[in-house]
Amino acid sequence: MIPTPIHPKIDPANPFVGQQSRNQTLESFVRWVLRFGTLVIVSVTAAIVLHIAVKGAPVALSREWPFVNVAFLTELPSTLHVIQDNQGHIIETDVNGADVIKMQLGANLREEKTISYSGGGILGPIVGTAMLVIVSVGVALFLGVASAIYLSEYASHGKFIEMVRLAILNLAGVPSVVFGLFGLGAFVLTAPVFTNSPLDRAIFTLPLGFTTLSFQGWDTCVLSGGFTLAFVILPVIITASEQCLQAVPLEFRETSMALGATRWQTIWRAVLPFATPGILTSSILGIARAAGETAPIMFTAALAFKDKLPWQKDQIPLPADASLFAHWEQSIQRFLAIFTESVQALPYHIYTLAARIPQNEYSERAQYGSVFVFLILVASLAATSIWMRRSLRAKYKW
Amino acid sequence: MPPSDSSSKQLPPVVEFRGVDFCYSTQTVLHNIHLSAERNRVTALIGPSGCGKSTLLRCVNRMNERFISARVSQGQVFVKGKNIHDADVDLTQLRKQVGMVFQKSNPFPKSIYDNVAYGLRIHGVTTKDILDDAVERALRSAVLWQELKDRLNQNALRLSGGEQQRLCIARAIATNPDVLLMDEPCSALDPIATLQIEELMQQLARDYTVIFVTHNMQQAVRVSDYTAFLHLGKLIEFGDTEELFSNPKQKLTESYLRGTFS
Repeated sequence: MIPTPIHPKIDPANPFVGQQSRNQTLESFVRWVLRFGTLVIVSVTAAIVLHIAVKGAPVALSREWPFVNVAFLTELPSTLHVIQDNQGHIIETDVNGADVIKMQLGANLREEKTISYSGGGILGPIVGTAMLVIVSVGVALFLGVASAIYLSEYASHGKFIEMVRLAILNLAGVPSVVFGLFGLGAFVLTAPVFTNSPLDRAIFTLPLGFTTLSFQGWDTCVLSGGFTLAFVILPVIITASEQCLQAVPLEFRETSMALGATRWQTIWRAVLPFATPGILTSSILGIARAAGETAPIMFTAALAFKDKLPWQKDQIPLPADASLFAHWEQSIQRFLAIFTESVQALPYHIYTLAARIPQNEYSERAQYGSVFVFLILVASLAATSIWMRRSLRAKYKW
Repeated sequence: MPPSDSSSKQLPPVVEFRGVDFCYSTQTVLHNIHLSAERNRVTALIGPSGCGKSTLLRCVNRMNERFISARVSQGQVFVKGKNIHDADVDLTQLRKQVGMVFQKSNPFPKSIYDNVAYGLRIHGVTTKDILDDAVERALRSAVLWQELKDRLNQNALRLSGGEQQRLCIARAIATNPDVLLMDEPCSALDPIATLQIEELMQQLARDYTVIFVTHNMQQAVRVSDYTAFLHLGKLIEFGDTEELFSNPKQKLTESYLRGTFS
């Protein structure tokens, strides 16, 4: 028996009346499922951020001007001494203050606790992370944009180029720890250095007359860590830059070539300026990732504890009558030391506080403070990138 | 408009095609083209869609080489008496002296000044005075100077369609080329802008040799001195514009002019 079709209600006044059919129900159902999915993501993000903000803000911020805990942000991490006297008063101080207070209390002292890394501030890790981000983003942008330009403008299409693209995509999937080991092998232990006295462990040395090119590595330092992190964020930058370059209309290139420009002139004047806003946006992801990676810097740059900032490196004090040139030389050495000294880094500092020392309320306080500052730092780096992109886009809009 | 002064007949043609075949990989799209463009005259290329007019135009400044395996398979193209496919021809110099204006106006999203000065800057001119003079001269030739002299730093995309196309013409003539190639310059413009561009083309012929492609037969009649009619890659007829339109010698030309096919 043939089933009779169901006729929709015919309303004489409205020929377009909605029909409560299965399709409509499916439509609303799907819409709610998608809303729910988004809600889950938003709530999880809010939960993480609010949790950190609520617990970390009291540590990093303060109630009076200048509304930030200046000591927390400008002192190096040090050991926290917590002294309790017989009346139950608790005093928190650093090692010098502890000596003074213990002398004052004398026999009144009930107990003293020491918690590593939880006193002082986090200036060292902040500076270290900033240096690492600057070096890695600088290297990655240079290498990444250059590769993207070659791949999209110069390379002829073929199997080889497709394999290169596949290799770059694969690089994105390599685990961070593997990058760390790569950095250890490539930069810390075997990178080339110009030196007059090569180490024994150098795998290869090339005497050059007045100096020697020795492949002995750069040791744990900002350069090694920066280069390793650069390779971590390189795939993202290359693929995003390529897309940005290809988004620039073909007509710009044609017109430029028709006016007699060489290919590089065309790229430099008529393509790159208009691809730059997009490239800077892609660097946002890169900055956030470079700031947050722990494994690549564990072997290549970071230390748990360092009592000096990179430019405070010990140098032989100059005699009083030293020439201006000698002073200049020392200043340059100090500047170069920024890149050749190992540093503390925020993610590694957080890891040390959370996993390498016994947990108590003081270390937890330091943890949340560090994480809060870290989030603010990454968010402000991203905000700067967005602002730069906005102002460049206004200038180069097409 | 017929050429009235006989002195131009003694000068060699600026652009000359001698028996040119052109192909994209294996497909030949131009067959045995014999064509020449006289100095300081306007030459029009007309014909139905897909007959190879734009390809022919782009042969003059070798812009077809942007496509893979596109080449002149037979014959030679001469510009200013030199075979442009010779090994000692510098492509950037060729394109400096043969300017091109495209169908859709495409100024760079930079200021008007930067657009016009672009060609000069890439050829190494950096002195501000020279650039200023050249920009003024180019904008005057394109009849834009009075309108734009006070807003040279404005973004070029804010101009109207007709002004943008005139800006592209100014950009192309800023480097003082000898030949100006125009690929359907008015097809994206309204009638008033079209008329302005057509007037401009006739004025430009005083200083430059203009070759343009058009779909619009009336435009060819209004503007050009010589017309070439192409069909399916072959040059059917080439001659004086008035002659070709009033007394076409080939049956195919007559059919096309009557509108039997387009």
